[in-house]
Amino acid sequence: MCSVTLAFSSNATRPLSELRPGVRGVVFEVRASNSGRVDRLLGLGVTPGARVTVLQTFPGVVFLCDQTELAVERGVAASIIVRCEETQS
Amino acid sequence: MSCHIVHERAGAAAQTLRLRARPLRLALVGQPNVGKSVVFGRLTGRYVTVSNYPGTTVAITRGRALVGAEVCDIVDTPGVNALDGTISEDERITRDVVAGADCDIVVQVADARNLRRALMLTAQLAGFRKPMVLALNMVDEAFARGISIDAAALAEALRVPVVEMVAVEGRGLSELRGALAAAARPYVPALPQASGRAVWAHELTERVRRVSTLSLAYVQETLARATRRPATGLPILAAVLYALYLFVGVFGAQTLVKLLEDGLFGQGINPAATWLADRFIPVPFIRDLLVGQYGVITMGFTYAIAIVLPVVATFFLMFGFLEDSGYIPRLAIFCDRIFRVMGLNGKAVLPMVLGLGCDTMATMTTRILGTPKERLIAILLLALGIPCSAQLATILGILGGISFVALATLFTVVLGQMFFVGWLAARVLTGDRSEFILELPPIRWPRPGNLLTKTRLRVWWYLGEAVPLFLIGTVLLFVLDRLGALTIVAAAGRPIVTGLLGLPPATAQILVMGFLRRDYGAAGLFQLAHSGQLTGVQAVVALTVMTLFVPCVANFLMMVRERGVKTGLAIVAVITPIAIFTGAGLNYVLGYLGVQF
Repeated sequence: MCSVTLAFSSNATRPLSELRPGVRGVVFEVRASNSGRVDRLLGLGVTPGARVTVLQTFPGVVFLCDQTELAVERGVAASIIVRCEETQS
Repeated sequence: MSCHIVHERAGAAAQTLRLRARPLRLALVGQPNVGKSVVFGRLTGRYVTVSNYPGTTVAITRGRALVGAEVCDIVDTPGVNALDGTISEDERITRDVVAGADCDIVVQVADARNLRRALMLTAQLAGFRKPMVLALNMVDEAFARGISIDAAALAEALRVPVVEMVAVEGRGLSELRGALAAAARPYVPALPQASGRAVWAHELTERVRRVSTLSLAYVQETLARATRRPATGLPILAAVLYALYLFVGVFGAQTLVKLLEDGLFGQGINPAATWLADRFIPVPFIRDLLVGQYGVITMGFTYAIAIVLPVVATFFLMFGFLEDSGYIPRLAIFCDRIFRVMGLNGKAVLPMVLGLGCDTMATMTTRILGTPKERLIAILLLALGIPCSAQLATILGILGGISFVALATLFTVVLGQMFFVGWLAARVLTGDRSEFILELPPIRWPRPGNLLTKTRLRVWWYLGEAVPLFLIGTVLLFVLDRLGALTIVAAAGRPIVTGLLGLPPATAQILVMGFLRRDYGAAGLFQLAHSGQLTGVQAVVALTVMTLFVPCVANFLMMVRERGVKTGLAIVAVITPIAIFTGAGLNYVLGYLGVQF
């Protein structure tokens, strides 16, 4: 298992693949069984601490990471663990 | 905005000018789609194709530039997201340039909107121990999105010159030239692990970058959203295809072709050439070579200029517009699931769509794909089913005049065959598919200057590449005809051509020419159809076979260059029978159903 974590703890962490469009958050961890996936995501700026916004979830997952729009398949999105922002209702 | 100021590290040692034994060599390195090719063009005055999607540049380009009093060799490299770990073939090309002794200074071009990513790459580049300059490009777009970067603090932290630029407008270029003398090895802690680099990049980014919630890019963001959501994106795709059909298929392939073929060539050039030849050339052999049935002017030039050129030109213009708008990669989201069945992922939509421009270039673009298996499948499918612009020209020209159903039949059969072969190849070939991770470029309004330059260069390229082959092909046909070989070819091909495919015997020679260049063969069909020698069904069958053939000699040579002789020959050996048997099947089915187009 290869994983990169940010040095703070929180309970509200969920995989990006489970988030609904419009949810914002901060990347908490990038983990996958193949290190190639982690390296590619890190190279694209999906690093712990990066701000992400989920844009759409069908047919693929599209999210904004900093100012980069990334389209990924669901399995890849499951590797990105996000600490969600508190939703204001 | 504190633009175009060169921030050099404090106390940089004064550089003395000295004569070098060879020119200073710079490499432009950076993430995909950050504008390396624009910077290259601005520095060297040499145009390399600039588009708005990652992976436009897949090979290195060299050029020369005068920097101060010095001549520099400049290398433009394919974009990279990483230089170690699992990297694709185009990324390997860039790594070899940076690692090589041929590179004295690395100019990292970065997208100012994505500093964190840029720094991840800076950390890897630092490992090559080359002096560097960091060029922060597109500071205008970053500003519009509320991002400002303290370039001075960044330069201080990295201990390399940092230049802010808007390369498409030429802003920041003289500052970049000036900064080269102060290029220095970046000060980055040794971080062999990507995770360590991520932490470092994150901390430095937080320190030098400020993001406000202000965004001035409403229109682009609305369009970006509309093009990637299925509910709006699929209607937009349909509209784009229809616009393409109207502009290229109707305006280019019918209005312009009619104007040129019937008007310019039919009433102007060809009668004039025939009159002149009859008058001044006493030798019938030469006269026929020029203006006869297989004449260089009456056939070769007419095909190339009157039939294919208008469509190629209109297609390149529209295609360039789509390329620069950032639209094409968005299609990958819709294609991902379908492509997965064919052992590819959504990213393969880039070479596939580029193949509509030129299959040979697209074969090279498959370098952006992740695994050898994906590359092979993409190259195979490009050769099998994707008609290039010149061929699209003749297809639209012939079938557009018959009926929309005929056109739809052709594309359904070809796409179905590609899907089937892809599905089969995904199961037969060994190896893996890579995961779908694709960066979507921002939607931009194309710059007319770049669009026109690109279209002009591509049309010139077409004229330089296709016209000689058309002429050689015509001479070859002429010679074969004189030797009586055409009747032999027609006789030998009869069982297949008239038997299996149900085509008139004259099509045999056209299929032979299709081997040389399939658009040339298709242009032959165009004339045949024009003179009423083909029924609708025959036209559809003949064009389907031709579309499924390997595109042209150039494409074959490119396959050999990219994948080796054995693979190249294997692809031809697979594709040719598929093409003929698909045509035979189509002929049988259409005949059985009694379809008339």
